[in-house]
Amino acid sequence: MKKAVQIRKELQNALRVGWFLAVRSLRRSSKWTTTLIIFIMILTFLNLVVVSGLLLGLISGSFVAFRESYSGEVIVTSAAQRSYIENSQNLITFLEHHPEVKDTSIRYGTNAQILGTLTDLPGKNERANQIGIRLIGLDPVAEERMTRFSRFTLHGETLQAGEEGYLLIGANMIKKYSAFADANIPGLDLLTDIDIGDRVRVSITSTEGTIKKDFILKGIVKSKVDEISTRAFITDKELRRLLPVNKNEVQEIAIRTRESYAPILVKEIKDFMGSYAARVQTSGEAIPSFLRQVETTMGMLGNALSSFALIVASITIFIVVFINAVTKRKFIGIMKGIGVSPLAIECSYIFQALFYGIVGSVVGLFLTFVVLKPFFDAHPINFPFSDGILVATPESAALRVVILLVVTFAAGYIPAKIIVRRNTLDAILGR
Amino acid sequence: MRKSSLIREVSESARTEGVTPLPVEDDGTPLIRGELRKIMIKTEKLIKSYGKGDLELQVLKNLSIEIKKGEFVAIIGPSGAGKSTLLYQISLLDMPTSGVVYINGKNMSALPEKEKTHFRLRELGYVFQDYALLPELTAIENVALPILMQGMSKKDALKQAEEALARLSLTDKKHNLPSELSGGQQQRVSIARAIAHKPHILFADEPTANLDSVSAEPVMEAFADLHREGQTIIMVTHETEYANKAGRVISLKDGLIISDKKQIAGK
Repeated sequence: MKKAVQIRKELQNALRVGWFLAVRSLRRSSKWTTTLIIFIMILTFLNLVVVSGLLLGLISGSFVAFRESYSGEVIVTSAAQRSYIENSQNLITFLEHHPEVKDTSIRYGTNAQILGTLTDLPGKNERANQIGIRLIGLDPVAEERMTRFSRFTLHGETLQAGEEGYLLIGANMIKKYSAFADANIPGLDLLTDIDIGDRVRVSITSTEGTIKKDFILKGIVKSKVDEISTRAFITDKELRRLLPVNKNEVQEIAIRTRESYAPILVKEIKDFMGSYAARVQTSGEAIPSFLRQVETTMGMLGNALSSFALIVASITIFIVVFINAVTKRKFIGIMKGIGVSPLAIECSYIFQALFYGIVGSVVGLFLTFVVLKPFFDAHPINFPFSDGILVATPESAALRVVILLVVTFAAGYIPAKIIVRRNTLDAILGR
Repeated sequence: MRKSSLIREVSESARTEGVTPLPVEDDGTPLIRGELRKIMIKTEKLIKSYGKGDLELQVLKNLSIEIKKGEFVAIIGPSGAGKSTLLYQISLLDMPTSGVVYINGKNMSALPEKEKTHFRLRELGYVFQDYALLPELTAIENVALPILMQGMSKKDALKQAEEALARLSLTDKKHNLPSELSGGQQQRVSIARAIAHKPHILFADEPTANLDSVSAEPVMEAFADLHREGQTIIMVTHETEYANKAGRVISLKDGLIISDKKQIAGK
């Protein structure tokens, strides 16, 4: 007990004297050196947070785009082997009265053929300028509220409520605008020689026969979400009129709610409708699994890069503290000589190292959350498959700060220990 | 030696400065509370060697000395005589190759390093040839450091440090960094640091070697004053003039004591 009290007292004293020495050492050291070390620490922190955050942001950007542009927080689609959502009108009523549902977009859909060239028949060995496509009927007003649909208009104009005879086609289905136009993908047909204002023919085939109607191409829509860029869109009223049967059965309902509430809403909808009436998923669940794998891979890459950054950081701090301690070896010897405990001297170096780590982290946090994250949110990096953002949460950043400080502690302690343990007289005499 | 024969009149300087007179021995060493002085440092067959085998160099050869409480001892000798090496052994900054160092009757050679450090902090004070001040601490902070390490509060430590600086007429320089002080001022700060925590023994290794005579004088005066107050001082010097300030002069040559004389301090 007495020994424990003595050890505690010695430790407290060592911390006190270590702090006394560290504060004065930092205050009176070269400003340039201190600035340089802090700059290195900031870069290290940014390397830890921003590089991995951008890598994750590449794929997370596509998740965000999927949610914002298509699915909402919850998406209800037809169950497997079903062509529509069972009892969809009851579900719509349920959602209209649900206090946590902020918005919905109800979409009707069917498979269709679009013939691009109406005047010239194809030659003997030529294929018609025709593609198979998913034709979606949407309420332009509700869709605008839900996804700001008009922002996807690459050329022409978007649909207006109540208008008929107009069609939008996803850019990836028209050779002139498609990102896949140069790729020779077997089975992938693209429309050629059509543009805004051209007339195209839509054919819907069902057990009741084939319905054909000509539309004017009003706009080309493009997004990094395939559900926009590979589909065709008309108003919901027109599609329902075209459909021979099940005119009121809906194929997709995108629901806007609080992100944290989404899993609860999914459960509520499943409870309301039964398990087999529809596929009910959160936005995250609806994302294709390969994207999840890409996210995992990016996460691993990010962690690997972070590990390198940590190693570089720890070596940097080690070298800085070691050189600092070596150049002050004589004074360390003097301190030991006059009775300053080795622990107090080590503490002073640890405090100095932690100062660099803390200041570097604080400035790094400021740059990350006040400068870089808002910047990348406002100006995402334009990747071919997503809008890259910076993924940085306070939790992940806090974890990295802790990791950095632990590394800093070790990188400050070890060199100080190495120097302090050397013979006192040799240190004083510079031997 | 009878006690009565050791006592004589106090020095004229103490009388003229109005300092409370202390009874002193015939070598000028004050008698604390009029008691016979006890042995403070004792070495037995002290040997210090460097190198091994054919290259072994014995710097101290079977040295046995005794230093009493309150003595001002000057260790002199030519370069390579082993005077600094002897100081390092008895001041616990180094370990002898063989032999024993006792301080206050305690075998210091057997102490672990941690306890030696603690002992140095509590009981010993050091003045080094090159002042050995920490460049990032002001004069008062340098002086306060060992006091702080003893566990005193920062406020009290700085107060005590200021008193020590005042004794050495350095109050106006207390906030100066060592780089802003002259050599003599730095050495006086070093003395203030060595005495601020009231050590039992003060060790000085060539304290005037880096100073000109003008700067060295106040330094030696400071030692003389401390000695008059009963401070045990062991000083290594190669300057006979300053050795004469001590009450006892031990001469070394080639690691051996060639003479050990008592004298009237300050003569």
